[in-house]
Amino acid sequence: MSIIYILIPIAMLFVLIAVGVFFWAVRTEQFDDLDRQGASILFEEETPKAPDAHVSASNNIEADKR
Amino acid sequence: MSQKPCFHCNEPVLTGSNFITRIDGVDQVMCCPGCQAVSQAIVDAGLLSYYKYRTEPGSRQTALVPESLNHFSAYDLPEVQQDFVQERDGREEVTLSIDGITCAACAWLIEHKLQKLDGVDRIQVNSTTQRAFIRWQPSLVKLSEILSAIGSIGYNAAPFQLDDQEVISKRNSRRFLLRLGLAGFATMQVMMFALALYAGYFTDLETEFRDYFRWVSMIFAAPVVFYSAQPFYFSAIRAILSGKLNMDVSVSIAICGAYIASCVATIQGTGEVYFESVSMFTFFLLLGRYFEQNARQKASVSSSNLHKLVPLTASLVTEQGIEEVPAKKLQVGNIILVSPGDVVAADGKIVEGTSGINESMLTGEQLPISKAPGAEVFAGTINLEQPIRVKVTAIGQDQLVAEIIRLQELASNAKPAIALTADKLARYFSATILTIAAITYLVWRQFAPEDAFWVTLSVLVATCPCALALATPTAVTCATGLFTRLGIISRNGSVFEKLPKINTVVFDKTGTLTCGSFSFGDIQLYEGVDKARALAIASALEQGSLHPIARLFARIPTTLEVTKQHHLVGAGVEGIIEGTRYLIGSAEYLKVPSALVFPGQWVYLGTDSNLLAAFEIQDRLRDDAKETIAALKAKNIKLQIASGDTSAHLQQVASTLGIAEVNGGLKPKGKLELVESLRSNNTLVAMFGDGINDAPVLAGADLSVAMGSGSAIAKNSADLILLGDHLHRFVEAMNIAGKTNQIIRQNLAWALGYNVFILPLAVTGHVVPYIAAIGMSASSLIVVGNSLRLLRLKP
Repeated sequence: MSIIYILIPIAMLFVLIAVGVFFWAVRTEQFDDLDRQGASILFEEETPKAPDAHVSASNNIEADKR
Repeated sequence: MSQKPCFHCNEPVLTGSNFITRIDGVDQVMCCPGCQAVSQAIVDAGLLSYYKYRTEPGSRQTALVPESLNHFSAYDLPEVQQDFVQERDGREEVTLSIDGITCAACAWLIEHKLQKLDGVDRIQVNSTTQRAFIRWQPSLVKLSEILSAIGSIGYNAAPFQLDDQEVISKRNSRRFLLRLGLAGFATMQVMMFALALYAGYFTDLETEFRDYFRWVSMIFAAPVVFYSAQPFYFSAIRAILSGKLNMDVSVSIAICGAYIASCVATIQGTGEVYFESVSMFTFFLLLGRYFEQNARQKASVSSSNLHKLVPLTASLVTEQGIEEVPAKKLQVGNIILVSPGDVVAADGKIVEGTSGINESMLTGEQLPISKAPGAEVFAGTINLEQPIRVKVTAIGQDQLVAEIIRLQELASNAKPAIALTADKLARYFSATILTIAAITYLVWRQFAPEDAFWVTLSVLVATCPCALALATPTAVTCATGLFTRLGIISRNGSVFEKLPKINTVVFDKTGTLTCGSFSFGDIQLYEGVDKARALAIASALEQGSLHPIARLFARIPTTLEVTKQHHLVGAGVEGIIEGTRYLIGSAEYLKVPSALVFPGQWVYLGTDSNLLAAFEIQDRLRDDAKETIAALKAKNIKLQIASGDTSAHLQQVASTLGIAEVNGGLKPKGKLELVESLRSNNTLVAMFGDGINDAPVLAGADLSVAMGSGSAIAKNSADLILLGDHLHRFVEAMNIAGKTNQIIRQNLAWALGYNVFILPLAVTGHVVPYIAAIGMSASSLIVVGNSLRLLRLKP
């Protein structure tokens, strides 16, 4: 039974990671438009524009801080 | 709706749209260009299986309102842009609100279209909020080009005024989601250890492991208590400071008390622990709050979207010539030139020119009013016929429109807020629970001092206010979802409580009961002219005029050529077609003998010597006006019409619909007084309207309904907005609200019943932690499940 002294802290670490991932997802607005993402697989790919292809979601946050 | 819904997204197809895609050899009707383009793309890509296997069409809708007078170029003026455009490292950014997005397909189409524009760096369309974030290079593309590109595929985009509420509510929503997610994760973990501890009750769990599990639970429950539950503490402190009690007071006491006591028990290795109850408690309560917050955010998003920024520009007459300036820069005494089709930018007096002005935004009247030099014109009205020069007499807050807005604010401030049943109940419930807990403690002190604290705690935990707190928000959230599916935006939660109690409904006429646009009624023909020929001549003569009746004729395709066309303001048009001089216009203009003059609104067509045709022009009733009125009558609701109109048409509409009480010739203030007098004798009044002139009365009525095609300011003071202008949806809304109330009552009854049942057990000390946890979660889940039954209603 003493194995739980090791396993439970490991489980706690996993939960901590999961919570971290969840916070990151909320902060990068991934829960903002749920209908859109579900359908996006059906639409054809656009080739992303070169100059701005690296723009990440973080920009979006800045845009919303107005 | 008799018509088939959109094949792609299942929205009702709004009349008059003809977007068709051939799918599998069958022509399928679509509701919007977005769906049409996407379905075409799906077909072309050979992805027909999508339609075979999809389980759920995207289902939301907005009204496609054709914007008649779009002046995109005004958006390029720097003074106008400074209100909504952000500049960042040589790029400009804007967030636009877009009307007409019905599903993800539309979002895809708009992104697709704009990415092809040179100079657009980034476009991101959010189909939930119906907005687009765009970044572009001002050196390559203008904002007006972007707007017209969106316009060209059938959507109407405009910058909007961000509601103050929305910024706050967006931040709140995100915080709630974080708190909720964290509480969810923690609850799952604590519950696992709690199960081990429950098992320990029945079998023999070694104390060493029991304490270890308790410590772990304590660690997991800490963030829930210290971070997730914060909103309850703040709300409780606020309530206590203002000398009131609310649900959050007992909730906070229970959470803090249970957590602290459990920590003490853990550290000392005695007593009971309630970590799982505390976490679950917080999780369920947050769930209810999150629903509420979400509904509130949706409402604030839609009201921001209604707040379109339409830059009003004016052509200022200066010594150097004509200069385009934003309306807000005008000074009293300036002379401005108003071309036909332009909006008058400020209140003023005509100094030169005679024209017909459409004042429908003030009076609801669609017919232009002829104004000569010296006559007053008002900001926001539209010049239709000839260019005029206006001397500005009032700007900003002194204008007539500003006065109407002030009246609207006054009316909305005077509107008494009704206390919702659930809130009243919560107050009594809290007071009762706290009293019972105090009594329990005192009584147990006498008999078993060592158990007194634990029993009192179990009273607070077991009599869970969760189910009670979830009863209303879950039902309202489901009902709001149903409304959205029906194309009704509800802007606050109290509508569900008010709707079934409505006993008087007052309608505006133009644009509400009627379509607000003209159509042909009866057509009389003389001299052996056939109808097609008469219409072709009329259409040729009326080409190029902005008068609403002229535009009705001009829509008919014609091949005839007109020369020497001459307009006479307020009378008619003459012109030469194939060598003959024709006239079209009023009876006086054509000198029609009085025997041939019909009652009502008629336009006559003739030559110098003969009358050729007479066309009856009418503002048609909405298709569903009759059945709506009949359905409301069947519900024993008193009906009235309140209109700014004074013509015979008003009586005609009333008698067709069978409404006895008609009030005509009312100004905005008059409408408001009418509704206030109705309200004073204890009736609950619902008001329907669409124009700026209805805004004050909409703000003052108990429940107000605006048409989706109405003016932004009317929608701004409405509780419900009918997208797609289907009056009959209101009747459906009443039925849904009735059902919602029933569900709320069932939820409250269940929650109270459960509490009454568990209370004696708790007071007598029979509730151990696992019973408290099971009872609490079961009662909450039953409430949520019951509310979800609403979604099974077929709208």
